[in-house]
Amino acid sequence: MTHNQYTLESPSAPRRTRLRELWQLFRENKLAILGLIIFVLFFMTAVSGVILTSGQRPVFDPAMVRLQEKLLPPLTRPHLESLHPTEVPTLGIYLFGTDDLGRDVFARMLQGAWVSLTVGFVAVGISVLVGIFMGGIAGYFGQEYICLDHILIAFILSAGGTLLSIGSIGSGSACLGVGLLCIVYRLFSKILGEKLQSPGLLHKKAISIDTIIMRAVDIMLCFPSFFLILTVVALVPASMYNIMIVIGLTSWMGTTRFVRAEFLSLREQDFVTAAKALGVGNFRIIFRHMMPNAVAPVLVSATIGIATAILTEAGLSFLGFGVPPPHATWGNILSDGKRFIFDAPWLTFIPGIGILIVVLCFNLFGEGLRDAMNPKLRERG
Amino acid sequence: MVSFIGRSMVQKTVTLFFVSIVSFLIIHLAPGEPSQVDPLNPKFTPEMVERFRKEFHLDKPLYVQYIYFYRDLFTGKIVSWKDNQSVLIKIWERFLNSLPLFIVGTILTWTLSFPVGIRSAIFRGGLYDRSATFLSYLLISIPGFFFAYILIILVVTTLHVPVIGMETFGLGASSWGNMLMDRIWHLLIPSVLGATGGIAVLSRYVRSQMLEVEGQDYVRTARAKGLPPDQVHYKHALRNALLPFVTMFGLILPGLIGGSVIIESIFSWPGMGRMAYEAILARDYPIILTVNFISAVLVLAGTFISDILYLVVDPRIRL
Amino acid sequence: MTTKRLLILIPTLVILFLFQSYLWVPTYEEQTKGNPDRLYEYITPSLGDATSLNPIISSNATSSQIESLVFEGLIDRDDELRFRGRVARSWEIFEEAYFYMNPEASLPEGGAADAQRVVHILSTARERPEGLTPEVRATLERIKEIVRMPPEARKAIRRLKSSDGSETVQEIRVDIQAPPRIKLVLSEVDQDLFKNLSNLLGEDYFRAFDPLPFVTAEPPVDREILTEWAAELLPSVEHNPAIIFHLRPDVRFHDGHILSADDVRFTYQAIMDPANLSPRVSDYEPVKTVDVIDPLTLRIVYQRLYSPALGTWGMGILPEHLLNRTALRKEAEALGRDPEKFTMRQSRFDRRPVGSGPFIFEDWESDQFISLKRFEGYWEGPPHYHRYVMRIIPDLLTQEMEFYSGTLDNYTVQPHQVERLERDPRFQCFSGTSFGYTYIGYNLRRPPFDDVRVRRALGMALNVGQIIEFVLYNQGERITGPFVIQTDYYDRHIPPLPYDPQGALRLLGEAGWQRNEKGWLEKDGKKLEFTLITNSGNDIRKAVLAIAQDAWKQIGIDVRTDVLEWSVFIQERVNKHDFDALVLGWVMGIEPDLYQIWHSSQTHPHQLNFVGFKNPEADDLIVKIRQEYDHEKQVAYCHQLHELIAQEQPYTFLYVGKWTAVLDKRILIKDLDQDGVMQYRKITPTKTGDYTFHFNKWIKVSDMPQLSTEE
Repeated sequence: MTHNQYTLESPSAPRRTRLRELWQLFRENKLAILGLIIFVLFFMTAVSGVILTSGQRPVFDPAMVRLQEKLLPPLTRPHLESLHPTEVPTLGIYLFGTDDLGRDVFARMLQGAWVSLTVGFVAVGISVLVGIFMGGIAGYFGQEYICLDHILIAFILSAGGTLLSIGSIGSGSACLGVGLLCIVYRLFSKILGEKLQSPGLLHKKAISIDTIIMRAVDIMLCFPSFFLILTVVALVPASMYNIMIVIGLTSWMGTTRFVRAEFLSLREQDFVTAAKALGVGNFRIIFRHMMPNAVAPVLVSATIGIATAILTEAGLSFLGFGVPPPHATWGNILSDGKRFIFDAPWLTFIPGIGILIVVLCFNLFGEGLRDAMNPKLRERG
Repeated sequence: MVSFIGRSMVQKTVTLFFVSIVSFLIIHLAPGEPSQVDPLNPKFTPEMVERFRKEFHLDKPLYVQYIYFYRDLFTGKIVSWKDNQSVLIKIWERFLNSLPLFIVGTILTWTLSFPVGIRSAIFRGGLYDRSATFLSYLLISIPGFFFAYILIILVVTTLHVPVIGMETFGLGASSWGNMLMDRIWHLLIPSVLGATGGIAVLSRYVRSQMLEVEGQDYVRTARAKGLPPDQVHYKHALRNALLPFVTMFGLILPGLIGGSVIIESIFSWPGMGRMAYEAILARDYPIILTVNFISAVLVLAGTFISDILYLVVDPRIRL
Repeated sequence: MTTKRLLILIPTLVILFLFQSYLWVPTYEEQTKGNPDRLYEYITPSLGDATSLNPIISSNATSSQIESLVFEGLIDRDDELRFRGRVARSWEIFEEAYFYMNPEASLPEGGAADAQRVVHILSTARERPEGLTPEVRATLERIKEIVRMPPEARKAIRRLKSSDGSETVQEIRVDIQAPPRIKLVLSEVDQDLFKNLSNLLGEDYFRAFDPLPFVTAEPPVDREILTEWAAELLPSVEHNPAIIFHLRPDVRFHDGHILSADDVRFTYQAIMDPANLSPRVSDYEPVKTVDVIDPLTLRIVYQRLYSPALGTWGMGILPEHLLNRTALRKEAEALGRDPEKFTMRQSRFDRRPVGSGPFIFEDWESDQFISLKRFEGYWEGPPHYHRYVMRIIPDLLTQEMEFYSGTLDNYTVQPHQVERLERDPRFQCFSGTSFGYTYIGYNLRRPPFDDVRVRRALGMALNVGQIIEFVLYNQGERITGPFVIQTDYYDRHIPPLPYDPQGALRLLGEAGWQRNEKGWLEKDGKKLEFTLITNSGNDIRKAVLAIAQDAWKQIGIDVRTDVLEWSVFIQERVNKHDFDALVLGWVMGIEPDLYQIWHSSQTHPHQLNFVGFKNPEADDLIVKIRQEYDHEKQVAYCHQLHELIAQEQPYTFLYVGKWTAVLDKRILIKDLDQDGVMQYRKITPTKTGDYTFHFNKWIKVSDMPQLSTEE
């Protein structure tokens, strides 16, 4: 078995060359390179930001309130005589000025970089995972059918659950019991082979898995996305995690469609047929053989997705539903600062331009990657 | 063809039904109650809260509320909880307000993206292409409200003219031409802001379509024939590249109801987006659900239209 | 190539066409100078839209702002916050008090109490008051009339409720054979009447009255229930304060119909009608009867002492002829709706109101504007402005931009902008103190907040002066208690808590909290920690949250903070009492009635005393205040209550905010001076800070005129 697999894998195209080829194409795109550099810089800022601004005695304290030092423009020196020694900013200067509570905007931007990045990454992570999972299942198991008895059991179980949650314990547990019995019965009948035949009607094929998933995608696409995010964020308690989850769970549909299409074509390829013929398990085929071929383009759209998520968070902040304090994000620094646009313009412009640059570099980087991976454009170099 | 239409109608109805259930559940399972029942207003006694709940059927089980809601929606009797106005009339009024924004925005998007995209494709890799790429990404990377404020402040502090709202207030009796131009001026900035994203995305799409077509054999043949480059680009390539855009006419339909919450709140434009946002804040469920339902209908109708258009324009597809 | 040319030409033309529209739009100066009509129009912004313009239905600030211009009440408050007649020319307040003969009681001079003897005692005491205390004498002087009322038989229907109190199980007829009664007519309301009379009739005379023998139930019920009903149906004593309003003869509604006492009664009935779901029911619930004596005279009798009563008649008066049953029925039929279910809430009146105020409703476009035009037939003379427009602009920054571009006439300045705008020569600024205060409330049910020392220490650790200086940019005033600071109910002599972190630590030490080695305060091994919450969407409260957290951390208290969305905040935390401490504000009415917020009976879930403040002495004062009609006495009680609350510190009272508004400098008051010569003078705010008090006389001029110099 292992031996067979080894021989199977070795003739596939050497990875390094493909990557190198990609890099070569990518390198020609100056804007994308710029994007990549800023991306790396931003990433490093965010990581150092989380280190420098957290802990009991952080190097830069983003929460330190110095009311007498409020609304100082960037590059102002602190008034040392009115400050407690522990309150003096670490750099000895307010690099980005102070906000309406006298907090150091530089420290807040550092902390916010990490939070903004986390929001982007986690939200997109969720959407990519859900997308790949759903798309993979739809693409690979798409032709499997769900039979009526499955639906019946699921219905009984969910009815039981609902009844229980409403409070009628008796009928609820009865429903649950019946559902479980059905499952046990089904398992037994499978183990005992075809001896225990249930009525034919229950085995009628009702709906394919592919249809279910693609209809779910259709349903989700029917909601205007920002409106849906806004509704849910407004209704659930405000927290950073809820925002990430909501953004993630409302943006997986594109990935799903994409992965499904990719899987449908990959499934027909020879190497999959070969692996199947060798008796490799379904999940191994999916994750070991098919996924690497389908995932690269997904990553491109994920890069751009992160940019969108950061912008979405800023938009939510503007409407008052962003990440709540004490977490600073660039979005909520910006929307808090806009009240002071005449009296302290740096509170608006520093985070605004910060977001602009970071989102821009994510977009450029993603676009560069996509160009480099597009085989049609590659040919003509 | 007929069977395709029939099948897709059935499918879309089923989808719509599930959308209605999902949106109903999302809203009703979340915490918070309609703000008309504001319990911290000392003038609201608990009995009043109870009466309001009864009036809005909030004391009934969920499925009953669901049935009541959609019965009222389809008979047109549904009223907003906030002010007892008919929801459909409210939405219609707001729709009429959003419509000019949508139209001007769409005109800007579609007229500007094509020349930009085509030119970038023709001069691929050149300075024009690169700066267009950079600019379009710049435009979609600015947080919308930040951009809006900067524009407003620039215009007001340098030109000293009003930009907020649908018209200049207190113009009194002026000529209709003056009024019209005033309204167009007020449309301009919000629709430019609304269109920037669209222009950036669409022009990129036009560019990649053109590039794709330019690589095709028949374009190469045309070029080899020695036709002038303009004729190759604008006659042979462009026509084929335009094909997918025909179907996009269907997909702009949902934009009718979307409206941008942020832009409409900043410009105090009384459009759909702002109404929906205020309904969310006030937990005005009938409005939220109706807007949701109508936009789902539009999305489905849009995909339906674009499928049909595709069938019509592309002779290769036959069902 | 045509295609190529078209592709360039069309976008260029579109853009050129759109941009040339700029040339048509007027600038700030052009709006004032180039358009005379604009000077007669006042445009004001509002953050939110109105909900309903029917004064008995709406309950938000924007609605009431419009309603105050379209409708007019019987009375309002003048520039010194005293009552002033509007639709009512004048009014009198007196009292009718009743008490039953108590056959069980024996009079001080011996013998059973019958009506004749009681009347005799009272009249002789009135004629020869020598030897009585001054209070009793004062009470007797108020009695204008003593009337003997014969016994009467009444019937009442009572409903027995099921155990959960939701459904009626049985209707029971109660027969009442009321004993003879005495009615006293008093020239003034006197809440101590019966207390003082018991000096004459015996300590127990009123208390010992047992109503049970006078009632029988059919079918019979438990003795306990019957006792309860009897106490309700035959109260031993009854205060019935009454108000008589004399209306102006020349007040008309905007449609020309004359406003009469019937309209006032109709407004009252509309509020009390359950179908209208009016949020103002609680204001009028103590009213017993509203009688129209003649078209211009109205008598309102209350069933108990309720001193905020007079203030409630500032309520706008509805036109009966447009909203009575026949009118509604007609409207329902015209709209094709079910007339039975058609109430005032469904009526078009909600969005097209007709009142008797200085402005006539003109138009309302949701989320855009509400416009009014002046009422030429207003009894006090029409306002100078011809139109009043309220624009709905949900964003403060764009409001400011619109103000700069001349399409708004005023702008409510945010604290940090005051300094900049006060310097601007184009504008005039006004500021005043608002009616709401901000506080930190503690959940007194939970330790450690049940200890007054801890609450006091928390307040002392907080530098409120600093909050006012830096968060509010000095646009605020420190307060020490729950009354409106502009009124005399507020006692300005009560000193605020000093800022004294060391003192706070000492107090906490007395309460048993000591610093541990990490610097946190500890008691019995438990760290002093709690969560301070507030609602989202209020930047100042958020800042207070941050500052309080910081200040308390300094003295070793581990405070976490949380900002919650409004409805979650109210329903999940406040209403369910699930909080340690919160930052919140109250907007106060001028009336000093604190019953709902401070009385111990209001501490249940969903009630407003959510901090759980229970103090018998305070309860007593709160009830006395709402029963006292005499201003001086009321003020005295209020000062006592203020001091008590300041002692107990259930809240850390922080500040009342100041508002500042800017107007164009060219808006002035146009008025006639003593000689009848027209003159302009600058707008000046009243003592209470209300600069719009003379709004009806405002006008905008295109060039600054010569101002009269009398200021």
